[in-house]
Amino acid sequence: MKQVVVHPKRCVGCMQCMLACATAHSRSQTLFAAVHETPQPKPRIHVGAGRFNEGFPNRCRHCDPAPCQTACLAGAIYRRDSVGTVMVNPDRCINCASCAMACPYGVIRFHEDPLGPAGHAIAVKCDNCSARVAKGQTPACVEICKAGALTYERMDAAMRRKTREVSRSMSTDADQPAIPAGVALLRTVKQTEIALGGS
Amino acid sequence: MFDPRESLSVTQDGDRLFAKAQQDGVETVWERHEAQQPQCGFCDMGLSCRICIMGPCRVDPFGEGPQTGVCGADADIIVARNLCRMIAAGAASHSDHGRDLVEVLAGVADGSAIGYKIRDEAKLRRLAEEYGVATQDKAPLAIAGELAQAMMEDYGMRQKAVKMVARAPEKRREVWKKFGLTPRGIDRETSEMMHRTHMGVDNDWQSLLLQAMRNSLSDGWGGSMIATEVSDILFGVPTPRPTMANAGVLKDDQVNIVVHGHNPVVSEMVSKACQDKALVDLAKAKGAGGINLVGVCCTGNELLMRRGIAMAGNHLMTELILSTGAVDMMIVDYQCIMPSLGKVAASYHTKMVSTSDKAKFPHMAHHEFHPHNAEKKAVEVVRAAVENYVNRGTVLIPMGSQEAVGGFSVEAIVGALGGTPEPLIDAIKAGNIRGAVGIVGCNNPKIKHDYGHVTLTRRLIENDILVVDTGCVAVATAKAGFKVPAAAEMAGPGLKAICHALGIPPVLHMGSCVDNVRILVLVSALADALGVDISDLPVAGSAPEWYSEKAVTIGTYFVASGVTTHLGPMPPITGSMNVVNLLTSGLKDVVGATFAVEPDPEKAAVFLRKTIEDKRKALGLDARSVD
Repeated sequence: MKQVVVHPKRCVGCMQCMLACATAHSRSQTLFAAVHETPQPKPRIHVGAGRFNEGFPNRCRHCDPAPCQTACLAGAIYRRDSVGTVMVNPDRCINCASCAMACPYGVIRFHEDPLGPAGHAIAVKCDNCSARVAKGQTPACVEICKAGALTYERMDAAMRRKTREVSRSMSTDADQPAIPAGVALLRTVKQTEIALGGS
Repeated sequence: MFDPRESLSVTQDGDRLFAKAQQDGVETVWERHEAQQPQCGFCDMGLSCRICIMGPCRVDPFGEGPQTGVCGADADIIVARNLCRMIAAGAASHSDHGRDLVEVLAGVADGSAIGYKIRDEAKLRRLAEEYGVATQDKAPLAIAGELAQAMMEDYGMRQKAVKMVARAPEKRREVWKKFGLTPRGIDRETSEMMHRTHMGVDNDWQSLLLQAMRNSLSDGWGGSMIATEVSDILFGVPTPRPTMANAGVLKDDQVNIVVHGHNPVVSEMVSKACQDKALVDLAKAKGAGGINLVGVCCTGNELLMRRGIAMAGNHLMTELILSTGAVDMMIVDYQCIMPSLGKVAASYHTKMVSTSDKAKFPHMAHHEFHPHNAEKKAVEVVRAAVENYVNRGTVLIPMGSQEAVGGFSVEAIVGALGGTPEPLIDAIKAGNIRGAVGIVGCNNPKIKHDYGHVTLTRRLIENDILVVDTGCVAVATAKAGFKVPAAAEMAGPGLKAICHALGIPPVLHMGSCVDNVRILVLVSALADALGVDISDLPVAGSAPEWYSEKAVTIGTYFVASGVTTHLGPMPPITGSMNVVNLLTSGLKDVVGATFAVEPDPEKAAVFLRKTIEDKRKALGLDARSVD
């Protein structure tokens, strides 16, 4: 089973995953039309800024056990056992926000959604692009990410890859720096600016 | 990360007015900067391309995703093209400002620019001679007409080189010739830059960057230089005169009018209208003590240099100045005017007026100024400002103002030295003054407001390095108290003695950002006097808090002219280490100068001191070790 894996050091903060996510959860399925839909689709992945203004794509971890599911008295939140995705049933959600209070990552939002009941705000969160995956596509955020900050892979493969990366960086004559020189340079400049009181 | 409770500025008025803005629910540049975080890394590294619509494209800096755009352009080409377009935009901006001055000069000659006149006939004649315009037995207006025509040719394509390139030392001109950097026409180089960066034209990142240097030189030795020189002809060559700086220049009991932007064509007429007796009487009838005209940004610097008009603040202060509630009207022309200002003013009684046919803004009343109607328009808008005085609400003027001296044109500096640059050269040779640094450029919320400017200036003068500054830096150092003769006490012993002997501050205000060309003229005079190239001189440039495209162009014409230049914030080039390496080291073999990037002004000071001491050593002068 493949999952979305986040690689924080790769995030360049372009926020393209947010646009792709909102589009994937729109009725029209195209960015230009989606922005004119009512209600407007909204992203379920949220790029925030770290201490040095570096990007971080914050999305649902699909925890197990999921605190949001435990907190949901209406029984709207459930797990699709086959894929492990924590889902919200829009017809059961009573918009009480208990799930958001329980969520350690702050990835549940409340608004009217194109795919939910009309005129009524509900809890909206990442559904691992279940509709896209059912059609054989990868999740929209992964597909759009050109920096490799979001990948869609089997967890054991991801773990193996990470182990290999770490091992290689431990080699004494490793010639490949972990981070490309230009990226490292820009990050150093930004960290200095912030350290000196810039915003 | 942004924290509104933390100090955002090294200035007292900045911090106090930011708190006031927050209390008044006014959104400022700092909140908007915070809302933009994280900023797009592709764009920050110069790796996104929107030049054609096979794209938009971006290159993955980590090497796994796409490594070329749809057209096949790699990171080097994309980064170079983006930087080149920034430089073209900066050159276009300052040079278009110059064009407006030439039009006024032509209008004065044919009598259509009512209220404008030739204020400095000697300078007019000097310039005319440089441009090959015969002056003997000719009336000033006839000369002005022909000079304007000759300058218009500089903008075109009928010449091999823009005229004022001839002001550069011969050795420098040879370098330009050797590498094909001599600018041929002002608009031509900008147009060619835009052409070359079109899809499928110049795809050699090095030749693109060479054209960018030629483009920057077409501004520095062309459009910008014309802007400064014609402004001097029309409004007078600046001479040292006292002024005041910071938000305290606003007056509780007077009609406060703030001019903002860059071009003196509008602000000079506003200044004239503010002295109109009928309008001053009207102000008194409204209960005000008079009309208080002050500036922000570079149009303020233009008035400060020539009239000693007080300076309220620089780029990041423009919104905060409105939050005093004391501004009855802000009149803007163009460049660096945040489109947010109209919205900020809406929280107060302040009237906002835009004046240029090329620069309109939301929530501003547009009163278009042209050379033929500017005198009349200025009276109209100043009257509206006076009438607005009675609508004032609560006012906070956060502190008393700081004394400063401005007006150091090259003519004034040479004058202060006794008519020749020799005393300055002698002081440099003797080592009392180690060298000079031109600190220029903007503010940027990425750097704590004025921290870069003030810290760097302090460190340099402490080490006997004369500082000349312009633009937002000039405002920062004036507010910090570096621009009074007594500031010599903050300088090292050598510089202090010279300042005391000449009665000048250790930091000389050379004008607006377009006036950076005065620094080019000054270093050319020094190089000529020593018989060396500009790149041999113990001088350097710095833009510790730059943000704008104009600043990139200025930095590039400094470097292309042989002045090694430090930048605080990183330009969007880190996507290509080839471009980074060329700009920070490879250019040394081309133009004898490079860029250096260092956000920390303490470290930048060490770099600039080293640069200067190395140049001294190469000239056979005594050199200090710098740690």
